[in-house]
Amino acid sequence: MQFPILSAILITPLLGALLILVIPREDARTIRRVGVAFAVISLVLATVLWVCVEQLGPDTLRLIERYPWIASFDIWYHVGVDGFSTPLVWLTAFLMTLALFYSAYVIEDRVKEYFFLFLLLETGLIGVFLALDLVLFYVFWEIGLVPMFLIIGIWGGKRRDYAAIKFFLYTLAGSVFALLAIIAIYFNTGTFDIVELARLRPFADNWLWANLAFWGLWLAFAIKIPVFPLHTWLPDAHTEAPTAGSVMLAGVLLKLGAYGMLRIGLPMFPQVFRYYVLDIPILPILALFSIVYGALVCLAQWDFKRLIAYSSVAHMGYFTLGLCAAAVSDSGTQMAAAAALNGAAWQLFSHGIITGGMFFLVGMLYERTHTRDLRAFGGFSGQMPVYYGLTLVFALASLGLPGLAGFWSELFVFRGTAQLLPLAAYIGVLGMVFTAAYILWKVIQHVFLGTFDAIRWGTLTDLKWWEQVAVAPLLVLTVVLGLYPGPLLATFDSAVTALLHVLP
Amino acid sequence: MLDPISVFRVFASELVLLFTALLVLLGDLIFRPRGRHYCTGFAVGGLILASLFAIVFRVPDDTSFVPAGLTIDAFALVAKLLGFSFIAMLALLADSDDCCRSPSTALYCALLLIAALVISILGAASDLILILLALDFLGVIAYIMTSYDRVNPRASEAALKYLLYGSTLSALMLFGFSWLYGVSTTTDLVGLGAFLDRGTTSSALSLRAAELDYVVLPALIMAGAGLAMKLAAAPFHQWAPDTYQGAPACSAAFIAVVPKLGGLIALVRFTLVAIPAASSEHGGDWQALLVALAVVTMIVGSLAALLQQDIKRLLAYSGVAQVGYMVIGVVTQSSTGLAALLFYLLVYALATTGIFAAIIAVTGKLTPVSTEISTFSGLHKRAPWLAFAVLVGLLGLIGLPLTGGFIGKFWLFVAALEKGFPWLTVVAVLSSIVSIAYYWKIIRAMYFLPVYTDAALHMPTWLSVAVGICAILVILLGLFPNGVLAFFRLAAIDFRF
Repeated sequence: MQFPILSAILITPLLGALLILVIPREDARTIRRVGVAFAVISLVLATVLWVCVEQLGPDTLRLIERYPWIASFDIWYHVGVDGFSTPLVWLTAFLMTLALFYSAYVIEDRVKEYFFLFLLLETGLIGVFLALDLVLFYVFWEIGLVPMFLIIGIWGGKRRDYAAIKFFLYTLAGSVFALLAIIAIYFNTGTFDIVELARLRPFADNWLWANLAFWGLWLAFAIKIPVFPLHTWLPDAHTEAPTAGSVMLAGVLLKLGAYGMLRIGLPMFPQVFRYYVLDIPILPILALFSIVYGALVCLAQWDFKRLIAYSSVAHMGYFTLGLCAAAVSDSGTQMAAAAALNGAAWQLFSHGIITGGMFFLVGMLYERTHTRDLRAFGGFSGQMPVYYGLTLVFALASLGLPGLAGFWSELFVFRGTAQLLPLAAYIGVLGMVFTAAYILWKVIQHVFLGTFDAIRWGTLTDLKWWEQVAVAPLLVLTVVLGLYPGPLLATFDSAVTALLHVLP
Repeated sequence: MLDPISVFRVFASELVLLFTALLVLLGDLIFRPRGRHYCTGFAVGGLILASLFAIVFRVPDDTSFVPAGLTIDAFALVAKLLGFSFIAMLALLADSDDCCRSPSTALYCALLLIAALVISILGAASDLILILLALDFLGVIAYIMTSYDRVNPRASEAALKYLLYGSTLSALMLFGFSWLYGVSTTTDLVGLGAFLDRGTTSSALSLRAAELDYVVLPALIMAGAGLAMKLAAAPFHQWAPDTYQGAPACSAAFIAVVPKLGGLIALVRFTLVAIPAASSEHGGDWQALLVALAVVTMIVGSLAALLQQDIKRLLAYSGVAQVGYMVIGVVTQSSTGLAALLFYLLVYALATTGIFAAIIAVTGKLTPVSTEISTFSGLHKRAPWLAFAVLVGLLGLIGLPLTGGFIGKFWLFVAALEKGFPWLTVVAVLSSIVSIAYYWKIIRAMYFLPVYTDAALHMPTWLSVAVGICAILVILLGLFPNGVLAFFRLAAIDFRF
């Protein structure tokens, strides 16, 4: 029997959380060390996992573990990874390590609960990417909910309780309908097995129920991604959450919905998906709305953190658009569909590191200035040169500058979309223009250029060593992936090819 | 020939309960100067012993002398065990609730034991008269418990409301039952079922089918109203908020759990034996009534709970909504639905008892008396473990995964979708979403608001034990439900579906 590495990855953060529970509250130093240590162990395991998957080939589900969990309902503990999930698992462990490392220096209040909740969150997030049983998927999906809810509510900003409950209500409202859809799918097919279901195509002969089940699932995923007009929880939650919470929200939580679309929505209901892209083009229209509307809101936004939050709405729109393009492909347009899906998957990873970095930087600025109002800033480039340099790279990556990680997703998504959904591609490109506008005008110009208010900001200090350490790995990754995308793209591509094979 | 050993085997748990109740009362004379803790010890011990007897002697060798109105089957066993374990938890609570001390905790514990005895009989009751008597007996115990805190005028008011409401609806239920008896000439559920199954011919009044409708349908509505009152199901729930609020917290926990359990047991037996939708002529009508009851209950309970500022009133209304989910289990009339109902009831009772235990701890010593939600403010800082236990209970009631509430709701939805009630599940889902908004008030107070008072929180041992057991079981039922699920499935096998 081989080492159950997936279960190990899953259980490591949980063990850390339980260990923290028994450390006395006063010993914050040990709690911080244990928290970061377990995050690092997870990251090491995730790295080993990635290497293993590359050896085995990321084109199909690997390292599967399957044991009965609730036998009376035919619910299994069934986990496995492929080229889609492995990078996302790694991304989760990676961002969590940085987030906890950063938090260890910043958080002074209720340290024990903080690290406990973050580690619990990590288990939930990784579980979603590993689960191959619909109910298990759902359970992990909701496990992450409570820790994040408490993280926003306890350590958040001024309107934290409003933001926390909004986040909770939106997520749960979507997911309970997904639960009903899951049960309906079970009655139609007799299984919760995600792999099996992609083959069986639930409700292939019942258009009404196929629609109900599809939209039930879509609601849960679209709220998480988020897709316009279900995005309104996001600006509040991201803005009010503590820095590390925002990083995890933007970096990983949004990917849960996207991953659900990739793993469940598209493979199980390709016809329905296709119908709502081609015949009634509601899905691409919503994706375009997310892109253009999100970018326009950023242009009008004066709150630095809120701006980054809205930019996530726009960026995740590229993912949805790429997915729509892939859904309409046929045998003649496999190349374009593969490009679109690769771009979409790449967007998940690159957005995680770029926006994660941006939220770190915004949080670090807020720690110093205690305001997020862009109009109050100006000319910081001289006062905080290191900060300027770091932010510049992430901001440019965010607008898709070639040579940085964000470029490839946009290139591939539009390469695929331009052939499959040309009109949508032309409109979607507008979003890139607006993105360039708000990044350059709002972020670069208002924060770093212009006149410097020496009286108010004369005492600002540049980033401390641990702040640089928290952001530097993301920066390195952004540049490396921008210049040398080959290996990660190959991983995604093998999974994409496998997915396109099962689509009709 | 009556063999005393076999009689004991059949009624072992009931006899144990009766004797324990007497023993607790007698003990009051001897132990009183030394404090009250022995009551809880005796009561819990008696309940454990009774449960053991119930399990060991679950299959009687000789049922010839069992009275006609009793059906001793797996469902009765499960009902018994559920009742015994809830009441054992309540005995732990009673020890710490100051309001339960006058005139004496012993009397209170004796009442609890008698209530367990009644539940035990009700679980097996398959006769209209016996069901009615048991339900009313349970009601009387609940009225006494509500008014137990005699110096508190609100408690008396609450008890009076409960008494008036309860006796009126009981009378109505009796009236309905009498009509059923009038046409069928039997009070036995099986006989009644056979009559309703066949329909017309054997009627004592020799009514035709159409005429029979005029008797049976009103009778069903009246019986349903009486049962709905016991469950606190809308529109017969108005007594609940005032009664919960006025009653001592421990009694409120009793009212929130035990009458609902009793009512559901009676409802299940009545529905599945006398008037199942599959075979009975009026089964469809009864099922439609139950669907309406479930929908109205879920909607009214959820919406009313949104407006509450008092934690006991909030739990009263949320209990209304929760009962709506459980009625879904009866509506489906399938083994899945019945097992799901029992499972959900178990989780509901554990979560509710845990929260009421926290209410005792938090508000028990407050002067002036207050059970506003704001008294829970900052509980997270005063007592982190207690706050966490309440959080677990609330998440269980919301039905979040990793708590038993999720498994229970999941199973109920499965049962409802299986039998073709998708819209019922949609209402249940919407009601669950609304439930977040009102349970959130408590979570927000505990975790996000500044502390209500800096006074240290005193947690008596028994109370901590009760809170701990409740929270741990709610989580364990969510993680490893297999054993309990299988056990509840057994309870369903004796019914013909």
